[in-house]
Amino acid sequence: MVDAGGIRLHVQRTGPTDGRTPHPTVVLLHGLLTDSLASYYFTVAPAFAAAGLDVVMYDLRGHGRSERPPHGYTLDHNIADLEALLDRLAVTGPVHLVGNSYGGTIAFGYAARHPGRVASLTLIESEPATAAWAAKLGRILHRVTTELAHNESDAIAWITAHRGHNTARLAKGAARLARETTLGRDIPASRVLTEAQIRAVRCPVLGVYGGDSDLADLVPAQRRLLPDFRAVVLPGHEHSVLVEAPGAVGGHILDLVGAGAGAR
Amino acid sequence: MNPIQPVPAEPTADTVLADVAGMLRTVLAEYGDDDVVIGMSTTFNRDLELESIDLVTLAGLLEERYGQRVNLAEFVAGMEFEEIIDLTVGRLVEYVVWSLKTDRAG
Repeated sequence: MVDAGGIRLHVQRTGPTDGRTPHPTVVLLHGLLTDSLASYYFTVAPAFAAAGLDVVMYDLRGHGRSERPPHGYTLDHNIADLEALLDRLAVTGPVHLVGNSYGGTIAFGYAARHPGRVASLTLIESEPATAAWAAKLGRILHRVTTELAHNESDAIAWITAHRGHNTARLAKGAARLARETTLGRDIPASRVLTEAQIRAVRCPVLGVYGGDSDLADLVPAQRRLLPDFRAVVLPGHEHSVLVEAPGAVGGHILDLVGAGAGAR
Repeated sequence: MNPIQPVPAEPTADTVLADVAGMLRTVLAEYGDDDVVIGMSTTFNRDLELESIDLVTLAGLLEERYGQRVNLAEFVAGMEFEEIIDLTVGRLVEYVVWSLKTDRAG
């Protein structure tokens, strides 16, 4: 556990222990509600560590083993947590940020605020915070808070029947988080980025999408706004492409990070 | 950091099962479950209702006990998603016994 400016965050760090020249740091940010650092820990993290990267994973506030305050769940809170965490871990050089879903939105927000501190950015099934993003998250979170948090037993019975036992248990955890915190109200009310702020992110950006996910529709917009953007669409996958196809996703990230590290 | 018993020179499935069951009880105690029966066929997901973040805790306990020879993340990273969901205590025990033997042979 690391105290990141008044909040205790669960951090896992892995990588070379040879004590030689500093290794590039990659920070892995997970998604909302049902997610935790485990989605990286058991997928791409071992390969990243074996490739010589200093790998930092943490549970977002309210998630996994991190502290769950009742309030304070806007995007700005999450970006401030990342700033405090990197300070606390004494990571000073430019970092490679990888974000899955909402984690990518946090990573992009950090890069927009600190362009000089980010070596590369990977957005897995993710997008920058825009007004359209906030409206979409508002709709999703409204459904979670009304259907799940307030009619939980009916909703869980439906999910168990249609999506299976494992998804139902994840949904229970999501309902608890939505009930115990203001997350459902805070995230849609987050401050979003202007087009100029999005354009200011000039580091290499990799977008990874599931071919069956509607987020792949965002590729043209990102290509128009970002000076150094490349996209990978993995057919046959949806929003959970990271845990379903970790080999492919991790390989593309290592390609990007390797190229970025060489240029530095 | 102070295991109750030292790791035996020839760990068997039985001794490793006893260790792993103890670690799982530590993880489950956080949920208030303290009377769980754990055997080789027990599944992490369906029987113990462990979430993936609980397996991160278990990975830390395994490393504390056996050192870096036993790396749960590497073991699991080679599996398909469905395989992880169906993972049993027995498969983990076999992996631990195998890792400790491989280490001596290597």
